Amino acid sequence: MKNAFLKKILTPISYKNIPNVKEFYIPEVNENAEKSKENLEKEISVSGSINDNLNFIKTAFNFENNKDIIIREFKLQNKKDAFIAYLDGMVDRNIINNFILRPLMNDPSSLNTEDSIFERVIETNQAKKLTIQKDVIYGILTGDTAVYLDGKDYYVLCETKGFEKRAVDKPHNEAVIKGSQEAFSENLRTNITLIRKIIKNNNLTTEFLEIGDENRNLCAITYLKGIINPAIVDEVKRRINGIKTDFINGSGMLEQFIEDSPMSIIPTVLSTERPDVVASHIVEGKISIIAEGTPFAIIVPITISALLVSPEDSALRWQYGTLLRIIRIIALFLATLLPGIYIAITTYHQEMIPTELLLAIAIARENVPFPTIVEILLMEFSFELIREAGVRIPGMLGTTIGIIGVLVVGQASVQADLVSPVLIVIIATTGLANYTIPDFSFSTGIRIIRLFFIILGAFLGFYGISIGIVILLSFLVDMKSFGVPFLSISIPKTRKSFNKFIKYPIWKQELRPDEVNPLKLRRQPKVSRRWIQENPKSSYDRKDEDE
Amino acid sequence: MNNEGKFGLIETISIVTIVIVSKILFTSESVVVDFVGTAAWYMTLLSCFTSIIFFLILYILMKRFPGKNLIEIFQLVTGKIVGKLLGFLFALYFLYYAGSNLREFIEMIKAYSYPYTATSLFLVTFIIVTLLLSYKGLENIARISYITLIIFIIGISTILLLALPNANFLYLRPYLGYGVKSTLYYGLLRSSSYDEIIILALIIKSVHGLKNFKIAGLISLGIAGLVSSISLVIYLAIFQHDMGAENLSGMFQISRTIYFNIYFQRLESIFLFTWVITSLVTVSIGFYVSISTYCKTFNIADHRPLLLPFSFLMYIIALKPKDISEIIYTNMAIVREYSGMLLYLVPTLVLIIAFITNKRGVVNNEEKA
Repeated sequence: MKNAFLKKILTPISYKNIPNVKEFYIPEVNENAEKSKENLEKEISVSGSINDNLNFIKTAFNFENNKDIIIREFKLQNKKDAFIAYLDGMVDRNIINNFILRPLMNDPSSLNTEDSIFERVIETNQAKKLTIQKDVIYGILTGDTAVYLDGKDYYVLCETKGFEKRAVDKPHNEAVIKGSQEAFSENLRTNITLIRKIIKNNNLTTEFLEIGDENRNLCAITYLKGIINPAIVDEVKRRINGIKTDFINGSGMLEQFIEDSPMSIIPTVLSTERPDVVASHIVEGKISIIAEGTPFAIIVPITISALLVSPEDSALRWQYGTLLRIIRIIALFLATLLPGIYIAITTYHQEMIPTELLLAIAIARENVPFPTIVEILLMEFSFELIREAGVRIPGMLGTTIGIIGVLVVGQASVQADLVSPVLIVIIATTGLANYTIPDFSFSTGIRIIRLFFIILGAFLGFYGISIGIVILLSFLVDMKSFGVPFLSISIPKTRKSFNKFIKYPIWKQELRPDEVNPLKLRRQPKVSRRWIQENPKSSYDRKDEDE
Repeated sequence: MNNEGKFGLIETISIVTIVIVSKILFTSESVVVDFVGTAAWYMTLLSCFTSIIFFLILYILMKRFPGKNLIEIFQLVTGKIVGKLLGFLFALYFLYYAGSNLREFIEMIKAYSYPYTATSLFLVTFIIVTLLLSYKGLENIARISYITLIIFIIGISTILLLALPNANFLYLRPYLGYGVKSTLYYGLLRSSSYDEIIILALIIKSVHGLKNFKIAGLISLGIAGLVSSISLVIYLAIFQHDMGAENLSGMFQISRTIYFNIYFQRLESIFLFTWVITSLVTVSIGFYVSISTYCKTFNIADHRPLLLPFSFLMYIIALKPKDISEIIYTNMAIVREYSGMLLYLVPTLVLIIAFITNKRGVVNNEEKA
């Protein structure tokens, strides 16, 4: 006792025995585990014995440890054994209780023949017989309920999906002032409904494809039969079916698997959260791909002009739409080239700046200790930091980060003589210009390209920037989006479209985009406003005298 | 088999036009003014007209052997050995053309904008881009040419229009320049400035048939002649014939004279972009045509393995001249004054031989269609 007390007192200054702690390590993979999964992938028929089927479901879903899988055994009126299996949380329990279990346990018709169960007893709106084990597994995974009766060589799969989902919300990234205010959600079925709500056409076709070996996600391809070129549909299906990977969660991952130029900085697919954008492209003869899990649809094939078009353009009169597009095109050039040109001019081509402006720049830069390239990179980096922080920081703090950004990046850096005020103007203009690009991936790509032009401008001036332009062009003219040349606005020459960079009046947009070779090229007759050829019911001739 | 891809009429016109017309950005204008004085603007039209005649002769030759490119025709008419020798000469010439143009560009950009930058830096960066374009192939070059032609036309039109207030058209007098004889002589000699039109005959399998070949050739020559002539008129009207003969680049000097107000003056930046991009495309086309001709001559299926060796040769050719004077009076004299003897007279001779020996190509159904 005395020793223990002494030991306790001396503990802080005495040596301790190092306890023998065993550390965790990850053992080598048992490759045999893969084989059980392979068995599930084979097309094995359903057994006729209830015990075999119970074992199959239990093994497949790891019933002992997995608390999500619910297996409910019961007896029919004729004392025959039966069970249902579903995943808890994925189903609507009311449907199971009221329209599957209750009819099955109480209905006397099962005394006569169990075959009538499928036709008469189960009351869910969708039900199908499945004879292959892996189909049953997939059905349960998607939120349906499998019903099995002893002695049968099939399951009845009842539609009972009832998982939580987000309601249709406003678009967050593609907001418009004048236009639809609905956006996609994470639920595939809801998303397709949103499209179907806009295109009320019996030819609007939706096909479901499975993606991802482990998560077995669903993706839907939606197109307008009779307008889209069937080759596009075949190619999209070929590419999606050709994906062999374990996990695809949503359209962001899917587009990387299917796009033509995955190494390109500029995207060759259009990603949108707006059903109205998807609908307008589908009607033009393109195809939309929506994967379960993200509120975005992919549209293919596209050209570069699709990445510069905002959904608002079509809702606006053509004069306003054209003005906005011209602003966006100028912004695209500014976002790509402005910092590069600034650094090239101030470093190599000072003689091109008017004397007064040159003096103003020189005075502003007088106390700045860094070369222009360091200034620009510093500012670009700070700007990117603010942008990235702005996305991550919770909504309430968003304004705060904006104010901090303005103070730190703007005023404080200038006052500390870290950067010149002219450069702040350049970077701010570039940043604003970058935000005017409607497509997020495209604007991110432009940010990377801008960096190249800054480096080229810093090392080789205008010569370097010109080299950069030619290199960029050489990649752009080679790019294709599902067979459509990415630059087909200009090359190769296609039939004139009236809704590219310059937006023509909506009644003059007579043709669908020629580059996608739609089955019906003409979208409206030459005179789409037929009323202009008719006389109004109440009309007068200018020569008439007033009555 | 054609593995160079196919492209439309506009791209075809663009390729040839950009190569021919790009020389107005270089020393060509001042050299012409030096030769014929104020008659330069219509001397170039005479050269263009001569080239159209030679092009029509070339068209007759191509029509006689439908579906064949010029190298194949050489071999069919003159035999394998002489045909291959001629093909090799053509390949060599275009390599020399690309190398000389490259060096001319570098000397000028050094003189105007980058006096302290090493020549080798320009050479290496330029050749890297040339390699990239040639690696991607003719179709890629054709499409870039189209965009470049648009950039070129916008750039040149802007410079010429904005410089108009400085022009005094009385400077075009005396209209006969240094005399009719001199104008006629140099007019015929300088038809070599348009002889890049022969490129069409080398890439004919990519241009959708003889009809496109003819249309593209005539339109390209027409545009090139017109642009060259207009630019010379304005150049002479601004600088007169004596000062005009001394500038290194006429267009660059024109862009420097622009002055509207303190914030709108000296538009060299427009010129620089137009100039560099056009030069990159011009040299790339010359370089690619050289390799392509070599491949066609010696039946090499893929041009890509030849890119590095040829780029090394181009590097050597570009480094060979001592200074800008040697480039102007030797390299450019060969390219813009005497190259026609090879590029125009050889096909004409081949046509004559074909007539004499009564050789002609066979039209198959595909070509008929």
